[in-house]
Amino acid sequence: MSIWEKAKTLDRRIIFLFMFLGVGLPLLAKIGLPVSVTDDVRNVYNYIEKLEPGDIVLVSYDHDTGTLPEMIPMSDAILRHLFKKDIRVVGMALRAEGNGIGRQNIRRTSAEFDKTEGTDYVFLGFRPEITAAILGLGTSFEKVFPKDDRGIPVGELPLMNEVSNYNDVKLVISVTDDDTPVYWVNYANARFKVKVVAGLTAVMATTFFPFIDSGQMVGMVAGLKGAAEYEKLIKTPGRAARGMDAQSIAHLVMIGFIIIGNVAFIMRRRGK
Amino acid sequence: MNSGLICVSLFTADGAGIWIASILTLAIYSFLYKDNPIYRFSESLLIGISVGFLLVTTFDTTLLPKAFEPVGKGLSVMFGIGGFGSIISFIWLLIPVALGLLMFARFVPKYAWMSRVALALYIGFGAGASIPANMQSYILRQIDATIRPFLHIDSFWSLINAIVILAGLISTLFYFFFSKEQKGAFGKITRLGTFYLMIFFGATFGYTVMARISLLIGRLTFLLKDWLGLIS
Repeated sequence: MSIWEKAKTLDRRIIFLFMFLGVGLPLLAKIGLPVSVTDDVRNVYNYIEKLEPGDIVLVSYDHDTGTLPEMIPMSDAILRHLFKKDIRVVGMALRAEGNGIGRQNIRRTSAEFDKTEGTDYVFLGFRPEITAAILGLGTSFEKVFPKDDRGIPVGELPLMNEVSNYNDVKLVISVTDDDTPVYWVNYANARFKVKVVAGLTAVMATTFFPFIDSGQMVGMVAGLKGAAEYEKLIKTPGRAARGMDAQSIAHLVMIGFIIIGNVAFIMRRRGK
Repeated sequence: MNSGLICVSLFTADGAGIWIASILTLAIYSFLYKDNPIYRFSESLLIGISVGFLLVTTFDTTLLPKAFEPVGKGLSVMFGIGGFGSIISFIWLLIPVALGLLMFARFVPKYAWMSRVALALYIGFGAGASIPANMQSYILRQIDATIRPFLHIDSFWSLINAIVILAGLISTLFYFFFSKEQKGAFGKITRLGTFYLMIFFGATFGYTVMARISLLIGRLTFLLKDWLGLIS
């Protein structure tokens, strides 16, 4: 059997092993490959950079636990930027699992900046039925979320006394692994003119380029790469920056296997 | 957090959680070698916990504050203070709750038709809210974004960019026009459309690969950093 015939019957577990090494080794031995910043991420950074201390930003955790490795680095980076600039954050979730994720994420990040719950940030909890929730917030935050996730009436939270609807919010950031930003664009941006940013899994990125081109979204932070770019902009390298070394090497491993596979295919055809 | 060994201590609340998560991660990855009962147990556990979490969260954050508590409060006002106003308020409150309950009629074949009342309202609301919104964001604003660059040409490359986008829009739309056979001049335009589609599929696939590897990076970072303590 020729080497090309062997390549045809290569055990897929060997490919898994190479992929595992391609990801694992760069994590252990930090390489520090450069990360270039794209316009879509820079636009998000610039928009937040222009906000004034005390402005209010709504962050919606619209994703499940399955995509945490992509979503948490970007949520961390964006929240660190917001808290560093003393921008106040209203957190919420449109997915049930996002409720627990958002609560943990916002409290952990705010603790790094000594922020006080109720004054500097709040977490309102989860609401199902995306359309009704987003439209409802345009009328009254209190009607959609009468209490925060601890059960405290929003009327007793100093921050929420300054938020009645989207008019009081400078930006909506939807951190999501599906098409939820389309709902934010359709019902919050188109109808109430609030600016929208999406933090997305890389899978969803191509869906949202037209929304950025048409000015319906300020920008987007897509996948681990987007998170690494944001970490670079705020000069706080974290998990995403470290992960990009592994990402690049894993891509090289994959390209290598694609080339081997195609060469093997051509050589076998020539041999027939 | 370290117990003196490399691994995180098993005998703390955080440590026990990390150990359980690590073992379950390895159990799921064991599928890459071959299907096995440990993998299937872990998969079933994940599904069960996800569904249980969704039910509890929905009950706690939606059914309780939006249905049970207001109905209980309404009943106590109606029977406590009384008056015509409180009865009207209670009935007004009962309408959405009753519509929600009608959805459960689907479980009883004889009364399944009753759920259509609630579904009809739900679909009516959904269509009414989404059709104009989608028209705006998917069609009008996209046409605007395709034409507008031609009004702001400030360099040779901005002109090329505008032409590339317009050509992509027209040729791709032509590709999905199935009432005419794709040959001759029309066929050449649709062929251009397929090139644009291929570029889109390629970009999407590339992003998908990146996303999947990111998930692997996330789990390996967890194992190497939080569990084994090999990454500082």
